[in-house]
Amino acid sequence: MRAPAANLLFVAVFTAAAGFMSREKPGDAPVDFQRDVRPLLADRCFSCHGPDEAARKENLRLDLRESATALKKHGVAVEPGKPEESLMIEKIYETDAAQAMPPPDSGRKPLSPAEKEILRKWIAQGAKYEAFWAFVAPKKPAVPPVKRADWPKGEIDRFVLSSMEREGFSPSPPADRATLARRVAFDLTGLPLDTAELDRYLSDANADAYEKLVDRLLASSAYGERMAADWLDLARYADTYGYQADAHRDVWPYRNWVIRQFNENLPYDDFMTWQIAGDLLPHAKFDQVLGTAFQRMHRQTNEGGSTEEEFRVEYVSDRVHTFGTTFLGLTIECARCHDHKFDPLTQQDYYNLCSFFGNIDESGLYSYFTNATPTPVMTMETPEQKEAIERAQSDVESAIQALRIARIEAEVQLLREPAQPPHQPREIVGLEGMYHFDKVAEGKLQNEVSKDKPGIMNDGPAPVPGVAGKRNGALQLSGDNNAQFPGVGEWNYTDPFSLSLWIETPDRKERAVVLKRSRAWTDAGSQGYQILIEKGKLSFALVHFWPGDAICIETEREIPVGEWTHAAVSNDGSGAASGLKIYLNGKVAPTRVVRDCLTKSITGGDPGALTLGERFRDMGFKNGKVADLAVIGREITRLEALEIYQMNAPATPAAEPDPELVREFVMNSSKDVEAAKISLRDARRKLAAARDAVVEMMCMKEMREPRPAYVLTRGRYDQPDLKRPAAARTPAALPPMDPAFPKNRLGLARWLTDATNPLAARVAVNRLWAVCFGRGIVATTENLGIQGAPPSNRELLDWLAVTFVQSGWDIKAMLRRMVTSAAYCQASDAPPEIRERDPENRLLARAPARRLSSEMMRDQMLAVSGLLVNKIGGASVKPYQPPGLWSIGWGGEYQTDAGEGRHRRSLYTYWRRTVPPPNMILFDSTKRDVCVARRQNTNTPLQSLVLMNDPQFVEGAVALGRRAAAGGGADDAEKLKLLFRTVCGRAPEPAESSALAELLGAERAEFNKNTAGAGEFLQSGGVADSAPAERAESAAFASVALTILSSDAAVTLR
Amino acid sequence: MSPEFIDNFSRREMLKSAFFGAGAAAFAELLGVGGAAGGTGVLGSPHFAPRAKRVIYLLQTGGPSQLETFDYKPILNKRRGEPLPDSVRRGQRLTGMSGNQSLLPVVGSPYKFHQYGESRAWVSELLPRTAGVVDELCIIKTMYTEAINHDPAITFFCTGAEQAGRPSMGAWLAYGLGSANANLPAFVVLCTNKAADQPLYARLWGTGFLPSEFQGVQFLAGKDPVLYLNNPGGISRDARRRQLDALDKLQQNQFNKTGDGEILSRMAQAEMAFRMQMSVPEVTDLSAEPEEVFKLYGDDSRKPGTYAYHCLLARRLAERGVRFIQLLHPGWDHHDHLPSGIPGLCRETDQGSAALIIDLKRRGLLDDTLVVWGGEFGRTNYSQGKLTDNDFGRDHHPRCFSIWMAGGGAKRGVSHGETDEYGYNIQDIKNEGVHVHDLHATMLHLLGVDHEKLIYRYQGRDFRLTDVAGKVIKNLVA
Repeated sequence: MRAPAANLLFVAVFTAAAGFMSREKPGDAPVDFQRDVRPLLADRCFSCHGPDEAARKENLRLDLRESATALKKHGVAVEPGKPEESLMIEKIYETDAAQAMPPPDSGRKPLSPAEKEILRKWIAQGAKYEAFWAFVAPKKPAVPPVKRADWPKGEIDRFVLSSMEREGFSPSPPADRATLARRVAFDLTGLPLDTAELDRYLSDANADAYEKLVDRLLASSAYGERMAADWLDLARYADTYGYQADAHRDVWPYRNWVIRQFNENLPYDDFMTWQIAGDLLPHAKFDQVLGTAFQRMHRQTNEGGSTEEEFRVEYVSDRVHTFGTTFLGLTIECARCHDHKFDPLTQQDYYNLCSFFGNIDESGLYSYFTNATPTPVMTMETPEQKEAIERAQSDVESAIQALRIARIEAEVQLLREPAQPPHQPREIVGLEGMYHFDKVAEGKLQNEVSKDKPGIMNDGPAPVPGVAGKRNGALQLSGDNNAQFPGVGEWNYTDPFSLSLWIETPDRKERAVVLKRSRAWTDAGSQGYQILIEKGKLSFALVHFWPGDAICIETEREIPVGEWTHAAVSNDGSGAASGLKIYLNGKVAPTRVVRDCLTKSITGGDPGALTLGERFRDMGFKNGKVADLAVIGREITRLEALEIYQMNAPATPAAEPDPELVREFVMNSSKDVEAAKISLRDARRKLAAARDAVVEMMCMKEMREPRPAYVLTRGRYDQPDLKRPAAARTPAALPPMDPAFPKNRLGLARWLTDATNPLAARVAVNRLWAVCFGRGIVATTENLGIQGAPPSNRELLDWLAVTFVQSGWDIKAMLRRMVTSAAYCQASDAPPEIRERDPENRLLARAPARRLSSEMMRDQMLAVSGLLVNKIGGASVKPYQPPGLWSIGWGGEYQTDAGEGRHRRSLYTYWRRTVPPPNMILFDSTKRDVCVARRQNTNTPLQSLVLMNDPQFVEGAVALGRRAAAGGGADDAEKLKLLFRTVCGRAPEPAESSALAELLGAERAEFNKNTAGAGEFLQSGGVADSAPAERAESAAFASVALTILSSDAAVTLR
Repeated sequence: MSPEFIDNFSRREMLKSAFFGAGAAAFAELLGVGGAAGGTGVLGSPHFAPRAKRVIYLLQTGGPSQLETFDYKPILNKRRGEPLPDSVRRGQRLTGMSGNQSLLPVVGSPYKFHQYGESRAWVSELLPRTAGVVDELCIIKTMYTEAINHDPAITFFCTGAEQAGRPSMGAWLAYGLGSANANLPAFVVLCTNKAADQPLYARLWGTGFLPSEFQGVQFLAGKDPVLYLNNPGGISRDARRRQLDALDKLQQNQFNKTGDGEILSRMAQAEMAFRMQMSVPEVTDLSAEPEEVFKLYGDDSRKPGTYAYHCLLARRLAERGVRFIQLLHPGWDHHDHLPSGIPGLCRETDQGSAALIIDLKRRGLLDDTLVVWGGEFGRTNYSQGKLTDNDFGRDHHPRCFSIWMAGGGAKRGVSHGETDEYGYNIQDIKNEGVHVHDLHATMLHLLGVDHEKLIYRYQGRDFRLTDVAGKVIKNLVA
């Protein structure tokens, strides 16, 4: 029995739509290709006869005139001027389902008779094609003439009125001043006017009273907060990473940045450039780099066992999709797996764009075991921290200087008294552990240095003969078992240290963990140090976060297979790759720097004991042998490396030590030098501590060498098509990038902000229009492409776009222009026949009415109840949320803030992606998983439950009711009037007053009988209790306040 | 006017123009398209006669081991500890959790398998109650998926895509078919209240780009079975009625003044909320259930928030016409210590699942209620980590795993498909493999919906639950 209603519904749509169209093109007016034809071709034909080469049938493209009019196997699809000879017309009028177009089983809606007629007429009129309007740079159109010349206040109104007059509409009368004031206050600041401000405006009889109000609103800091709320949807801003663990991250400085830039009215071209490529600007300033955090707000994972590259590719794609939706208004993601089916975007274009966004030194996984910020990062020093770091830095410089002097003195000493030939074997200074693997007692490996710190064997590495000709045994590892050495080698990067051992690998290892002190690798982003074999070469690394915060060197040559090799490594404590050395068989091995970007400590996340042979979820040293591990708490010199090697090397011929090595050794081991080294180490530790204290923010930082990029077959991360390399190029169908621009993100930003770019300004003004009018001139603000909604007034959009650029991309000026237009200042009320004729309000013959956004809804309640804590910026806060929601996930129970965190504006509410705040989601906040340009607008019973039962809203009603009960007003009628006006910004009408008075009377009677109930109601939320005598009265007013806050006059902007 | 605007044209805008002047009551009747209101959904009526009118999806999250439940592979016991032959693995990708192990030792189930019922289906001793209803089940041993990590995999099962941002299956059905009960949501979600490694998140029952009124409404174990359901302290039902009556007057006045039909819609939604304040506590109050029902579902069914309790609640919701009821039970992620972990999970779920089948059947509801049991992927036939005499773990395995369906037009008493001897690959993937998209297509088919025709246009593209793939597996349909 409900079906007829639904059918009726569709009849209504079509009637409305068809009626609308028929008015748009009376008589034999020429068919408009942009408006009437292309949308039909795109919707019904392009998926098989469009830009996507792989899906194309009959080699026919109806998006290109050359192809449509060319002779194909079965004839000519479009014969200009001759519909009767055009195969397309034959096919669309075909009655045999097997032959008809679009095929009934294609999922495409059949063409209606009216639509068929449009196509027929189009061909009859010569089948003219025009380039899609949005892909051609806008020209400033002439402002159209209008009949009713007294209405327009400016150019906007003339465009609007002209289209109204064409359709036989006329504007609505102006909105009453109080209604207009409320509308513009919410649109520009997201908050209602307080009563005093409202009165100030209403009592200002000057002609420019409204313009002055607008200027005050644009100058208030609440303006930036309001604009930021929308921008954060595009930026997919969230306080957690998303995916399953959904851990916390500190990214709120980016939110501060957005608020600040809007308030300071940063020109929109800079606003775009800083977010796309601020890091690449010459001498980039702090705020320019911070803008690029926009690129890093996407979700990230740390799920165990994930493939790093799979997710890195996902992140780059997310940046491209976000770039497309936010700045180009195009659904670029459609071209990820195949050419775009509707817009002229190829898969090659997609991966070309990816190559702009993939050149940062990032990992596909953030750290599981530590809270390291995923690289690349920027530091957010406070002034005090900056000073502390500079001080520590200068102490380090002094210590380096002191060490240099100590060394010179040692050298002078050496010249005076030539060194004694060093006796052998020399004792190794600074030894923390020395293990010969023949000494196994009770499964423990004896430590020659301290007996109480033996090594431990896990899962039995097998004892095997050691280096030929020597006494020592060795261990053979399985790749899954290990030997561990607790209590030694517990170093940070600031500590000079060395390690030495013999290794024998049975084969060329692609990757094998020989030695490590860190918890896990690929899927865990662990901190620590390590010796690995990678692609046959030996590498040595100190890691805070791989790859962007680490130092790593590797040998230039591969190490021998099936042969004992002595390996030693040393670190000088400087934190630079130049301070690392690898020795092979006693000699410094030539190495290559793999990474040189360590800035923070390497000891977080519980690195555990120094371990040989294996690491959690990493590739172990399968069937590898190890012997004679020495763990040394200082940087060894070349002479010592040689001696340690010789100590256990098979049959080393005794050689005269190289005087140069002796000199170096002596210069580095005098008593004074050792003392200076300790001082330097201590100074470096202090510097490290000062640096570690600084908060980091994810940002963009271009790698020196761009990462090689390819088209990924079907979008799969592991299927690069090596025959189709991708390069930093803009989509071929759009105007090309000036060759003078750099081929990187900065060049992309220059291209975007260039006057020849057809999309950037249109997309921007279209969204600003939606801020003021509830919907864009192109209603699909996220898509100005071929499948987007056609603009309701293209000339107006183009005029605004060009004007915007000419104004220096001045956002405030553009908003001012919009909200001071007569179109904006109309009443939103309208009689049924006007609503029926233009249900979507495309012509703006009335102002739009809109429900408050989720933020505005809650902020209004906080503002009118006096609870709002007006503080700009800062970390996110945790207001009321029903208990138990977080406990289905990780991260512990939600802790409601005590104090001001409960009453900050809603854009500061903590956003946990997997469990977003329910009272905001229910009012259509976006989920912040991906970039979204336009919110839903729903109306559900659950919204009613939030408004009337959510403790946050009840608390507001109670605070408001209590003020109303105690506050001004001689009698109930006066008090109710004040209360209503405080919330709704206008005085109640008689019918409203009497409904409120009736409710107040009933509630008062009820609460007088039930004072306990009144007390209970008043305790909702954290507001202080009323005196017992006032409870019933306060509760009665609170009940009325709750009702007003739920009513249309409060929840809708009219 | 673009097709997008005709297709997705806001109902309310239309109603405002088409039925302007109708009273609030008539309006509420017309409004009932989806979400919490009763109604027909956007399809109006199904594409063809449905076999199932509703779905109860028993989602076992974490990835239950098929080898300990339904897929009997004795060779793994015989070959215990031997490396997984390369001829079986065929170089397919593993997760980073076991992919770097130097040895992948195969391991069989320590639990005994028997054949049960007339269908002689193999079921492990861990699921004795399920074994008792095996003749009602359509066991699919040849499920497969593409994702290998939890988040993408479970997102794939719930929304048909590995990436976030798509509507969940329940949201699609609420959108397409609406609700059969004007006082309850069309899509209800019940998460077992227990701590687990695999968190559950709202995205799994979200609407993606569909209007948010179609999102799953989570019923909670606490004082408010639906968020914000209860009036604030001190506000009685009578007081709420008075507030709503005053609200009606305010809004009627506003409507008279503005002519905006949206106001009537808001009034109707407030009334619906008021009714839900009665209907939700009624459905979640199990106190009137007879003793024998609690016996059937087991002792757990007396404890709010348990799986068995939710199975019983699911039956009550099904009786009242809720379209899609999704249970989520976490904890199946047995990377290690599987022998000490999986028996508990089976105990938590076995009796409730089986009782639900029996209970629905005796009430005549099984015929038109489709019940589905399963996780987001299966587990490896080799041990992750060390295989010892009495301990091992299993890593994620997307290549083959077992789920079952029952009722709602699914075949009774069959086991569909075979995996290879080692339980690593599907023997004949072309003819017997059931991809996630295929499962979705088949479920929609049973609901009378052509999966290629339940579409929503977003960002200029037509989206559907099955993306651009999926086929109805006729062999699963009775």
